Amino acid sequence: MKKNLILVIFILLAITLPAQENNAVKFELHWFPQAQFAGYIMAAEKGFYVDAGLNVALYFSDGSDSPLQKLADREIDFCTAWLSQTIALRSAGMKIVNTCQILQKSSLLLMAKKESGITSPQDLNGRRIGLWSGDFSIQPKAFFNKYDIECQEVRQSYNIHGFLADAWEVASAMRYNEYYKIILSGIDEDELVTFSYADYDLNFPEDGIYTCQTTWQQQPEICGKICSASLKGWEYAFQNEEEALQIILKYCDEYKMQTNYAAQKWMLEVIEESIKYQCGDDPESWGKLKIEDYNRVTGILLDQKIISSVPDFADFYRGEK
Amino acid sequence: MRNSRIKRPIVGKLLLYIGIPLLIVYSVILILNYFWSKDNALQQMKDYLVELTAHHASDLNADFAKIAEIPQLLAEFYVSVDQPSRPELEKILTNLIEVNSYISGLTLAFEPYSYERNTRLVAPYVYKKDGQIIVSDMAANGDYTCADWYSIPALLRKPYWSEPYYQQSSEPILMCSYSVPICQNGNMIGIATANISLQDIKRRMVDINIMNGYTFLISRYGTYIYHPNEKDVMKETVFSKAVKYNLPVMRELGRDMVLGKRAVKAFPDPITGYRQMIVYTPIRANGWTLSAVMPERAILSTVYALIVKQLGLMVVGLFVIILIMIWAAYSITNPLRKLVKMTEKLATGDLNVQMENIKGRDEIHELAMVFNKMVIDLKHYINDLTAATKEKEAVESELRIARHIQESLIPRIFPPFPHRKEFALFARCIPAKEVAGDFYDFFFLDEDNLVVVIADVSGKGVSASLFMAVTKTLIKAKSNEFSQPHKILENVNIELCRDNDSAMFVTTFLAVFNAKTGAFTYCNAGHNPPYLLRPDGKISQLENTAGMALGVWEDCQYSCREIKLQKNEIIYLYTDGVNEAMSEENEEFSYARMEAFLSEIREETPRQITEKSLQTVKEYTGAAEQSDDITILVLKNLL
Repeated sequence: MKKNLILVIFILLAITLPAQENNAVKFELHWFPQAQFAGYIMAAEKGFYVDAGLNVALYFSDGSDSPLQKLADREIDFCTAWLSQTIALRSAGMKIVNTCQILQKSSLLLMAKKESGITSPQDLNGRRIGLWSGDFSIQPKAFFNKYDIECQEVRQSYNIHGFLADAWEVASAMRYNEYYKIILSGIDEDELVTFSYADYDLNFPEDGIYTCQTTWQQQPEICGKICSASLKGWEYAFQNEEEALQIILKYCDEYKMQTNYAAQKWMLEVIEESIKYQCGDDPESWGKLKIEDYNRVTGILLDQKIISSVPDFADFYRGEK
Repeated sequence: MRNSRIKRPIVGKLLLYIGIPLLIVYSVILILNYFWSKDNALQQMKDYLVELTAHHASDLNADFAKIAEIPQLLAEFYVSVDQPSRPELEKILTNLIEVNSYISGLTLAFEPYSYERNTRLVAPYVYKKDGQIIVSDMAANGDYTCADWYSIPALLRKPYWSEPYYQQSSEPILMCSYSVPICQNGNMIGIATANISLQDIKRRMVDINIMNGYTFLISRYGTYIYHPNEKDVMKETVFSKAVKYNLPVMRELGRDMVLGKRAVKAFPDPITGYRQMIVYTPIRANGWTLSAVMPERAILSTVYALIVKQLGLMVVGLFVIILIMIWAAYSITNPLRKLVKMTEKLATGDLNVQMENIKGRDEIHELAMVFNKMVIDLKHYINDLTAATKEKEAVESELRIARHIQESLIPRIFPPFPHRKEFALFARCIPAKEVAGDFYDFFFLDEDNLVVVIADVSGKGVSASLFMAVTKTLIKAKSNEFSQPHKILENVNIELCRDNDSAMFVTTFLAVFNAKTGAFTYCNAGHNPPYLLRPDGKISQLENTAGMALGVWEDCQYSCREIKLQKNEIIYLYTDGVNEAMSEENEEFSYARMEAFLSEIREETPRQITEKSLQTVKEYTGAAEQSDDITILVLKNLL
């Protein structure tokens, strides 16, 4: 059933451009349509990919399978993925490369209600903490190690009801998503205390654009165009927030997403903050993976024995320096 | 026709003093009525919504409580018996789901390895699909232990109403679950869960009909479970709408709701901005909130309609009252207008006017009656006055005739003796009334002797003039008999004293002037002493002679004196009207002023002296009324 949820949007380039077999690109985003992917959606909607001479088909994953695996299997040409995940896969031998690091700041955080009495990382000791699995568990583990926290880890579902019902005293949340869902459930921001991993020297840059190494080697121009057109889409989305939100909500409706305007607006604002983190407002400076971020992530991955060796930065990152 | 002199007509005053206060009172009543009606209507609306939500919330609460009984019963049952086999469990679940039609699914989900040592997950699941009861195992769908319906009550160790969720099928169905932990010997060994479809609740919500309003149902975290706008369901929360429409008050309301408060509040419609009333009531069983919203405009429209009707009635009522006032004003002013016309006619002298057809017995009627009486009285008065005037005119006419006669009695042609060059003479008599009591006379006794007389009868008017005429006639008559002045006067006195019942008297100065010799023989019977004016400006009063005014005492003896007038010497005769002439300040002209004037006389003729005298006196008296006859006679010896 879930497989059926993999829905595809074909950007109809054939009408506007002469068919260019070589430039047909399958680009899969690693979750359902939402403001997290506003830049790619706007690049498609506003014709920036077309302008770059690309015939891009955008796909949205439902999380049931890995876009990276599809990339490795050459089912798709590009996908978005988290840096920690891709480093691990590269280290494990998957020949994927980062062509553009979109999100610079980690949105992952821990949150608790102030009424729980938690004010500092040490207060997390002994608490029942909801954690997601996979890549979402790397930063928490590093965080707990860093502050020597022993807690009751509870596997957290991808919603916030357990937190609202006090089943988890502390919950994981993406700042652009679950955190704001809490706010939109009637809890005020000043009633919450948050521990954003980025603030504790555990900043893991998140979404980046990936392709397989052979694609990069064979069609480096297309890789560059995908990145620049995507960044142009992001720039457009930030400059035309209302228009972008309406388009995103239209996508959400098509995918029967249970979301709303307020949530998407918040998400777009947090994503904008993440893209511009330590880069500023100039789009020229966006989308670059910094070696210090790479080193931080690989260091922690090594610590947690998720990787045994660090892939060469130059091999891994093929985007603009 | 409106009279332009009337600046503020009565109808205007009526409108000002009655119409406008009435309008103000009406308006105040209307405004107060509006507020009272509005408050009343809003209170009714509030009561209605409170009752409505309380009623339906109570029903929903009872339903949820009833649903909650099944998993509760199941959990208690499981631990009260020996562990049933899987087919037994499935049979129990099937029986329960058959009996309780409102349950769409039942699960007994066990902790890993707690039901069967070798099987991690066991969760018999019985549910309805297309009218069929299907038996399956929840474990077949994956690890249920991290699903909300399982993990949350398991961690909390207490029953849990899940947030609504969509059950994926051909048409997504909105569901929710009630899960009860199964505890045995203090250990949580599983969860008993009942799933219910919210379709029935949705239908019931749709059936709640609120005039121009709507109801909505939110979960304990503010998510819309039912809303007339289907798009909001499971997508929006009260709080997301508050952000979307930038309505902080909506977030406050939402906070109240999720905290399980019950209240009635007013808040603006997110789209139209119109005020609306919201009533929210918690459903205690699962923490949901039922709210009813009604735009105040909906209920106030009936108030507005009522006020508009009242306003219409007020306008019509005021119009009628204004008409009545105009009619009343005209019923007052019409007779008054007639009265004005009649009065104007009356003013032009038409005394035949009468106010007729004045209806009623009010003040206007009284005024008309009084006016009519006044006209009649006036007519009588005018008639009387006309008669009196005629009479007066007749008397005045007679007096004029008398004056003419009197004037004809005294010589008025000057110079009287133009052929006589020995002397010059001039005289004037100015009566204070129509006829004078003063007189003068002169006539020759013979060729050379000229009699000169000046006299002043006591009193004025007709009686005095008649006495003067008698005196003058007597003097003239006696002058024919006697030539000496005192003799003449003695005899005149005797005649006057006889039958003088009216006790009148006359001061008289009589002289005989010999025109040839200049001898001037005179007798003064109580008259003001005349002046002798000399050409050098010296003046002197003639010495008095014996005797008193004529008519006083019959036996009175008179004497005479004689002086000789030199050339250009003047004898100035006068009556007391000259020296006693009164100024505006009520002061006499006096001898002193007279003498001062006379001492200025040099070369003037008798006419000039007389006229100058009169002019001097006139100037002195100014606008003061002439109080006495003024008579002057001037004789100048020219030889």
